[in-house]
Amino acid sequence: MELLGLSLALFGAALAAALAGIGSAIGIGVAGGAAAGVMTEDPNKFGSCLILQALPGTQGIYGLLIAFFVLNKIGLLGGAGAVALNWNQGLQIFASCLPIALVGWYSAIWQGRTSAASIQMIAKKPEAMGKAIILPAMVETYAVLALLTSILMLMGVQVG
Amino acid sequence: MGVARLKKAELYYHKSVYGEIAAALQNSGSCQIISTTEENKKRPSDVEALLSKTEDRLADVRYLTRTLTPHYVDPVPSLDRMLGERPDVTMTELEELASQTDLKAVCERTRAIEHETGEVRTKLSEARMNISLLAALDFFPYPLSVITEGTRTLSGLAGTLRAENVSGLKAAIGDLSQYKDDTELVVAPYDPKDKAAEVYAAVIFSRKLESEIREICTKQGLSFIEVPSVLKGTTDEEREKFTASIAELEARESELASQLADTAQENVPTVQKLSDYYNSLAGRYGETLNSDETASTMLTKFWLPADKADGIRQTIEAISPDVELTLSDPAPEDEPPSLLNNGNTVRPFNILTELYSSPTYRGIDPTPLLAPFFWIFFGMCLGDAGYAIVVFGTILYVFRKYKKIAPGVKDFIRLFLFCSVSTFIYGVISGSFFGNFIDSFVPVLVPLKNALMLVDPMTNPMQVLGISLLLGVIHLMFGLLVAAYDKLRHGEFIDAIGNDISWFLLIVGLCLLGTAMMGMLPAHFFDIGRAMAIAGAVIIFIYAGKGEPNIFKKVINGFLALYGSTSYLGDILSYSRLLALGFGSAVIGMVINLLGGLASDIPYVGWLIAIVVIIGGHIFSIAINILGSFVHPLRLQYVEFFGKFYTGGGEAFTPLTLSQEYVNLKA
Repeated sequence: MELLGLSLALFGAALAAALAGIGSAIGIGVAGGAAAGVMTEDPNKFGSCLILQALPGTQGIYGLLIAFFVLNKIGLLGGAGAVALNWNQGLQIFASCLPIALVGWYSAIWQGRTSAASIQMIAKKPEAMGKAIILPAMVETYAVLALLTSILMLMGVQVG
Repeated sequence: MGVARLKKAELYYHKSVYGEIAAALQNSGSCQIISTTEENKKRPSDVEALLSKTEDRLADVRYLTRTLTPHYVDPVPSLDRMLGERPDVTMTELEELASQTDLKAVCERTRAIEHETGEVRTKLSEARMNISLLAALDFFPYPLSVITEGTRTLSGLAGTLRAENVSGLKAAIGDLSQYKDDTELVVAPYDPKDKAAEVYAAVIFSRKLESEIREICTKQGLSFIEVPSVLKGTTDEEREKFTASIAELEARESELASQLADTAQENVPTVQKLSDYYNSLAGRYGETLNSDETASTMLTKFWLPADKADGIRQTIEAISPDVELTLSDPAPEDEPPSLLNNGNTVRPFNILTELYSSPTYRGIDPTPLLAPFFWIFFGMCLGDAGYAIVVFGTILYVFRKYKKIAPGVKDFIRLFLFCSVSTFIYGVISGSFFGNFIDSFVPVLVPLKNALMLVDPMTNPMQVLGISLLLGVIHLMFGLLVAAYDKLRHGEFIDAIGNDISWFLLIVGLCLLGTAMMGMLPAHFFDIGRAMAIAGAVIIFIYAGKGEPNIFKKVINGFLALYGSTSYLGDILSYSRLLALGFGSAVIGMVINLLGGLASDIPYVGWLIAIVVIIGGHIFSIAINILGSFVHPLRLQYVEFFGKFYTGGGEAFTPLTLSQEYVNLKA
């Protein structure tokens, strides 16, 4: 049982990287489909399409960031060796990972849909690029807030 | 600063100088023609002829651009093109080029190639279809002419049917053959166990039996296939023939493709120049006319910036003494376009306003107001001194290498040049240099880094969160004050107090009250804050019930308005993204350094892998973080800041200019 804490912490890190990554993959995929459709008509829109397609990718990075944060906190990175965690501390770290894991997962999917819609928009109105970028960014707000929550929670958890 | 003052110009002139006047207005690049309906544009007949000739040429140019450009390999990289590495030409040179170029001949040649390519492709796909049909008919032992033409006495047909029906068909034909020996059923090899498989079969029969055989076959489920009449020999002979013809056609196809590529290589640069030339002419003659006042006098109306008026007057009066230019200020009923007129420092930020929506002519230009905030926010989001140096250096290199960058593009790049400075500053005070590069790899510099650090998001994020939210409050309150100023300017005194000042008092009051309560400010600020907050809340409460006769509804409206304070809470918390994104870039940088550090432990090649990981990783990190650092501060401007006072809704000033899609075109 003395490894339960470590396992819980790792489980949290895995969820943060995996769920947020899955969300970003789906979001980018959805937006990419729309981008490819627009580019068959007008290949010159590659630049703006790529920017809009990349927007839902940040959640995956946020998830990765939290996962690294956890690994660093429990001493699995670098040569120092894992710190001792009781199950309580492990559960706390696990809980800290949930905001970015869940919000990252879902917000990336919806951001991808908004990006796809924005890509359709610039197909017809290329001059509306500013607005097209802002609409998906509205969705990302909640991923940013979740990232912040996860970071603050993780910093608050006392280990070692 | 702000929206430039425009003049409305009415220019009367004699028909004979129309061409020169139109050219002068276009070359000045500072006149936006006030357009009129096409019916009202009465051009002199020679100009009309010139315009229709121009449009005719434009059609050719567009055809050639569309057809040839995909086959054109530009020797200059497209990035260089974007940064202004394009031919410098003048209209006079292009006029000469246009007279020497036989566009029609190029079009004809291109059309001929296109036409033949189409024919070759049709033949190719026919031949390929025949080849695959031949493969299916391989079981047929006789020349195919038996099926396609028949002999004097015999005819044939081919088709497919399900394997389970083969025996039925055999039996049915067998019944017939008891009377007539000259009927034969040939079936391709098949697997009797797979009942649903489609099997190819052919029947040869006496011409006299044709209708009966067809009836039997249909009844037994054979669906006929049309064998093209060109197939006459045995399948092997025919295959050989078509394989040879495919090779021939393919050779011709690639020859045509290379002809098209050659035509493209030879003509596209000229076509591009002419595209700009004819587009410029079409713009010039298509736009510049408003109405025909008298038999020989013409009138053109346009907007122009007040400070350009003298220059235009001189140019026009030099063309002909018989012109009359009257300039007037926009009348109250006019809706002039808006031209943002900001100095070198603020101008790069114009694009942020234009991306949202241009201000109205009489509205506020928000650019100078948002510029400092965007600059700070971008710096906090990217927040890394190393990244800032990379961005700054890259841009300086670009500016040194490319001297002809178009002004709009140059301003956009300059925006990032400016923001790299704030990024550097925040990177230094938050101790981030390529993430934690200094701590990881150059420990000797750690004391220097630490000495310069004012905030430490890694160990004390609450401090940076506080700064972020404080900046948010300042940003929002500034927005409210601008809104109040805008209302006062238009004499809406009560609305300014009720809508904007009241909220300003409430929120600033609450902030003072809160910080004083936590002991961060001296105690007497508590009373000031409380007084401000109460005053603000009372005004909001009363203002919301204004114009509502029913006392209960007054009260309800008042409370609902106060409930609106939650949206301010949301707005303020939204600024926490400044911490989160800055944190994001710092930690991504840290992760990259960590991976590099781990890689360097690999024996022999470790150092190489580490270098690749660190350089590649940081380039990736810069790209992804610049995107985030641009988008999120922009959102804070558009949603939180503009939400308080700015709606845009104006029309941007778009002067008549020479077309510069492909070349740098001068008058």
